[in-house]
Amino acid sequence: MRTISHTLPWVIAVVLVLVAPHVFGSGFSISLLCRMAIAAVFALSFNMLMGQGGMMDFGHAVYLGLGGFLAMHVMRAADAGWWIPTPALPIVGAFGGVVAAGLGGLVVSRSTRTAFAMITMGLAEAIVALVLMLPRLFGGEEGINADRSGGPPIFGFDFGSPLEAYYVIAFWALAAAGLMFLFTRTPLGRLSNAVRDNAERVGFLGYNPGRVRYFVYMFSGLFAGLAGGLQAINDEIITSANIGSNAAGAVLLMTFIGGVGTFAGPVVGAVVVTLMQMALGTVTEAWQLYNGLIFIVMVLWAPGGISGIILAHAPLVRSGQARRLVPSYLTVLPGFVAALLGTIGLSENAYRLQSIRGGSPPGGSIFGIPSDPQTMTPWLVSLALTAVGLWLVARTAPRARAAWLEIAGGTQA
Amino acid sequence: MSAAPALLLDGVVKNFGLVHVLRDVNITVAAGERHAIIGPNGAGKSTLFHMITGRFPVSGGRISLHGRDITDMSSYDIYRLGVARSFQVTSLFNRLSVFENLRVGAMRNKGAGHAWWRLLDGYGPLRERAEEMLEMLGLTARRNVPAGLLAYADQRALEIGLAIVGGATTILLDEPTAGMSRHETERAVALIRRVSEGRTLVIVEHDMGVVFDLADRISVLDNGRVIASGTPADVRGDPAVRSAYLGAAAEVLT
Ligand SMILES: Nc1ncnc2c1ncn2[C@@H]1O[C@H](COP(=O)(O)OP(=O)(O)OP(=O)(O)O)[C@@H](O)[C@H]1O
Ligand SMILES: [Mg+2]
Repeated sequence: MRTISHTLPWVIAVVLVLVAPHVFGSGFSISLLCRMAIAAVFALSFNMLMGQGGMMDFGHAVYLGLGGFLAMHVMRAADAGWWIPTPALPIVGAFGGVVAAGLGGLVVSRSTRTAFAMITMGLAEAIVALVLMLPRLFGGEEGINADRSGGPPIFGFDFGSPLEAYYVIAFWALAAAGLMFLFTRTPLGRLSNAVRDNAERVGFLGYNPGRVRYFVYMFSGLFAGLAGGLQAINDEIITSANIGSNAAGAVLLMTFIGGVGTFAGPVVGAVVVTLMQMALGTVTEAWQLYNGLIFIVMVLWAPGGISGIILAHAPLVRSGQARRLVPSYLTVLPGFVAALLGTIGLSENAYRLQSIRGGSPPGGSIFGIPSDPQTMTPWLVSLALTAVGLWLVARTAPRARAAWLEIAGGTQA
Repeated sequence: MSAAPALLLDGVVKNFGLVHVLRDVNITVAAGERHAIIGPNGAGKSTLFHMITGRFPVSGGRISLHGRDITDMSSYDIYRLGVARSFQVTSLFNRLSVFENLRVGAMRNKGAGHAWWRLLDGYGPLRERAEEMLEMLGLTARRNVPAGLLAYADQRALEIGLAIVGGATTILLDEPTAGMSRHETERAVALIRRVSEGRTLVIVEHDMGVVFDLADRISVLDNGRVIASGTPADVRGDPAVRSAYLGAAAEVLT
């Protein structure tokens, strides 16, 4: 029973990964799937620190980036004739990540909580600066690139086509996820939970909490570096942007939106956020703003992320009681939709206004409704929608919450 | 000559800034002894435990364990020499289940180290030890409850469990029965008596019933000094003790 509940999600994941590129076969979809897989590995490695070890790493992209750069150099060497097959590049990335984290960990692992977070940020800034100062090694602003099909063919595959690259990436992503899952069930994995909950107490049970943090940091760097190797294969270029604070912020966002409290949460977050970036990115330039807003809403009202929401409702759905929640949840919906539309109106108008000032033609529309940001009406309407929506949510949310508490409390007792 | 005391505190001093908490503490605990430390609130009992277990550095004096100087060692090195402790303020792994708390507590002793190449479930003796401890603490039914969600008395029981699950030879318990009901206290005392069999026990306790029931020897700490040390009978008759501390609780002594 227990084994089934543990293996079933993995079987489903493997099947999904194998089938997905044949269902969504376009080049665009395959590249989207690759991005999701890479983001998922990266977010899982981040959550080894964040969710499982209680370490907030604001500079985690450093390990993805350095692993990626190393893999990129090796890919170049392969292009130049060395016998290094492309599917082995993630191992190179992982090696780069673990070595870098082994050094970085010496600096950060003595500290805890806020100090830890601050030091990781400073370290990352320093490394980004260093990367830009060494253009020979890291290619300066342009980064370095190579051709993934330049390596030796394996069974006739040169991995140049998107589908072949997809299978390499998917294989490694599944393997990495599996290993990270197993890690959570090792003595070191459990110790990292203990250090998260109560680092001091660990010291009185014979373990040096700094040492535990150091080892976990290395493992996290290893898998981030592996993600960097995957990214090198997928993009065939790594730049300093892959190392910097934007990339580090993105993984934090994904992990939180997916949920830090479960193993699969970061995967959910990686998939959802990547989809959102693609979907919103094609219709609006303001997607980063929406990303940020969703993050805030999540942290405030659903700190367990998407997986936390699912976990909270799964037992109710199973026992058939979820239906009783629907009416009270529906009362929140109008306010939520109004606030959402209002927020979209405000941000789209702001972006529109900015580009008009930058020389774009005036006027514009949102959802096909004419909306000229140089007039008052769209602003007032959006503002009113937001305000009324938020007010309605504030009025209705407590009752929905109470309904959930009542029903969920009932099942637990 | 091999009979060095299990624990020897030699002129231990602790200042927090200008606050002199421990002025000159000398205590000898023989191996296999059950030693109680009593004294009024703020006497420095918990601070003394912190000194022994390396939580804070001493300001002066030496501490040795079976003749070995442990004064400047880290808490984890002292643990590895066989000293485990509980805390007056409950200090658990709140998001881990009761079982996982105990398993973490026994990991060092059962040779799991920092292993990352083996699954925890593969350590049979470790699991057995945690299960045995659950049974002894009466927490079997709460096995999978996160420690942070336990009732207070169960948390206190688990706090004791974390101190003893690793099989340390010297056990320090800081007010283990604080906040427990009469019945729970009796259970805990029976457990402490049982697990300290053949080990060295140092216990800080306000409940005089427990102290005189359990202790072979008692040290009375007041104002940063040991004002009396001896068998329960000695301490009971000591006038300095009566005036310093036991006035309020004197009826227990008679
Ligand atoms: N970290 C600290 N900084 C400053 N003063 C401290 C610190 N820890 C303890 N003290 C002070 O040291 C004195 C002794 O505290 P301690 O906790 O050791 O007493 P105790 O004998 O355990 O008392 P109780 O019976 O209330 O547990 C108290 O006056 C306390 O305020
Ligand atoms: Mg105390």
